[in-house]
Order: sequence, then C-alpha cells, then structure tokens
Amino acid sequence: MDDSQPVTVRANKPGRAARMADLLSAARAGSEDALGQIVNELSPLLWQVARSAGLSQGDAEDVLQTVWMRLITHLDGIHDAGALTGWLVTTTKRESWRVRAAGRKQLPADQDVFAELPEKGPGSEEQVILEDQRRELWAAIGMLSRRCQELLRIMAFAPRSDYATVAAALGMRVGSIGPTRGRCLAKLRALLADGPERSLA
Amino acid sequence: MTPPEPGRLPPAGQPLDDADFGVLDDIRELFEAVDPMPADLPERIRFSLALRDLEIEVARLAEENQLTVAARGKEQARTITFDSDSLTIMIRIDANQDGTVRVDGWLAPPQRRQVEMKTTADPLTAASDAQGRFAFARVPRGTAQVIVHPAEPASGDTRSVVTPALII
Repeated sequence: MDDSQPVTVRANKPGRAARMADLLSAARAGSEDALGQIVNELSPLLWQVARSAGLSQGDAEDVLQTVWMRLITHLDGIHDAGALTGWLVTTTKRESWRVRAAGRKQLPADQDVFAELPEKGPGSEEQVILEDQRRELWAAIGMLSRRCQELLRIMAFAPRSDYATVAAALGMRVGSIGPTRGRCLAKLRALLADGPERSLA
Repeated sequence: MTPPEPGRLPPAGQPLDDADFGVLDDIRELFEAVDPMPADLPERIRFSLALRDLEIEVARLAEENQLTVAARGKEQARTITFDSDSLTIMIRIDANQDGTVRVDGWLAPPQRRQVEMKTTADPLTAASDAQGRFAFARVPRGTAQVIVHPAEPASGDTRSVVTPALII
C-alpha cells in the first residue's frame, strides 16, 4: 500500500457519486492517496455521528481513527460508494456506543452542544440578518426530540447520493421512492414556518 | 402571527424537495460553525492509515493517564493502554532533556515481537523481550503510531496489531 502517486479521477459529471466510486476502487487496489481523499470527504459526517452520540471531542477523535483503521480490514467486502458510507456511519455509531458504555470521559449533560450558540461580534446588516436566521434555526432544532436532532444533524452532512443508505443506517424508513422528508424534517419546517421571518423559498 | 394553513405544510411521507435540501444545508452550516471537526484530524487519520500491511488487528485506546513525576518537578509522564482482540499494549511516555521522548512499553500476554514506532521522521524499531517489554530511548515529538509486527509465521497469526496515531 505504498502507492504514493496522486490518483486521477473523473472530475465532473456525473459528479460526486462517480468520483467516490473511482476513489473506492483505487483505495481497494491499495492507493493511499485515494483512501486519503475518502477520509477527507467523509470524516466531517462521521464527526457529527460521534458527537451526536454524546462523545467528548477527544473520544470522538479516537472513535474516528478506530473506524477508519477498521475500514482497511473491511475494504474488500465493500463494493459501492453508498455501501461505504453506510458501513462507516453504522460502524461509527457502534464504536461510539462502545466508548460510551465503557464510561470513559462522558460529556456531562450540561455541556450539551445546544446550551448556547457562540456569540459573534457586531457585523454588517447582512451579517446580523444571517445571525438571526441561524438563531431561529437553532431554536427550532432545539425544540425537536433528541432523536430528531440527531437524525437531522447527521443527514445534513450526508452526501445526497448516499441519503438512502445513511437514512437506513440511522434506522429511518426508506420508501420505494427513496428517503422521504420524514417526521423530523416535516416538524422542523413547520416550526420554521411558524417563526418570525424566515422564508422557506 | 397567523398559524400556517394545514395544507401548506409539507407532509412527512413525501420525497425530499428543494426547500428540504435548503434547510439541511443550513443545518450543516450551523453545525460546522458550532461543532466543527478539528482541522488536523483527517491528517492524523491519514497518518494512521499509511500502513504497508493491510492484514491488521486494530488496537483501541482503552485508557490514558497523566502522571506527575515528583523527582523531575514539572515533568509529566503519560501512560496509554491499547486493547486488541489478541494483545494489550501499554506504553509510558517520558520527556527527555533533549526534546525527544522516551517510550517504554509492555505487551500482554508477554511475548517476543518486533515493535515499530512510526513517526513523521523515519520509523524506529525495537524487539520486546520474553516479559513483553520494549523501549524506544529517543522518539521525536509529533504524531506517532505503534505497530506490533506478526509473531513467527509458525504461530499462525499473520496480522500486525496497530494502534491509532497519537500525539507525543
């Protein structure tokens, strides 16, 4: 696995899904560069999976490393990009539960990420409006159940071409037409529609 | 504020539309601001995945402790324990005067193995003794990873035991 040559992949249409498929086959053939690009692409999603499971930052870092190392031993059995994302999400959830069950450095409930949105200094008028919208969204998400918060937070980081597999990995129902809006997103949109000034266009 | 008409709200059972994707994009932006992944994490992960051997057994971080070494004043030592299916690896990291660190390790169950310390410079190698002890006298600070190479082929297991990358 000492192939240090950069991997050339199809850059444009049909876009990301094809690029990920190329990277996956290159990684399975032993390309470190391809595997590195997959790490860059999917780690932000896995970070949110680990953090929404209630892990501290340090534990989430450990879990991500373990998951990616375990992937090496499973690459042979993963044949498409959707299955790759699904395997990574499922394994990250399992590893997160394992760490939580071991009781290491658990995040106290009062350190909940929903406690406070970081304060930003005064800015341009546009900035202020953006901040207001962000606060509204934050408040609306905070009114949802824990389960909905977790689902939406993770789905927001899932590549669109992999929605169906990520949704399935999170235990959401996936219909024959693909993933549906679902109860959580419908509820959030209702809350936002009730809110003071947000346009849903 | 007038409540929205019931018919105007998107029902849960429909496929995702553009407005849904817009909301999901906003949520992503929000969490990228509030709880971003540490910027250096992908680099550490790539370091830990750069292995010559793909037949590996992953050792998970099990415990980490800071020890204050009284005799050396402010100097701190760290012990870290990793567990895999077949092996427990415990290491103790002490600072050297020259800016490097000393790493003492133990394998359990005790056994003779080739142990590699992968660093951002050249990798270092050591052999554990019959009691499972090994040592690296001078390891450069930075990202490092412990790889315990397979025992003699006769023993059956051909996999290396590999720890995550750690900062020493």
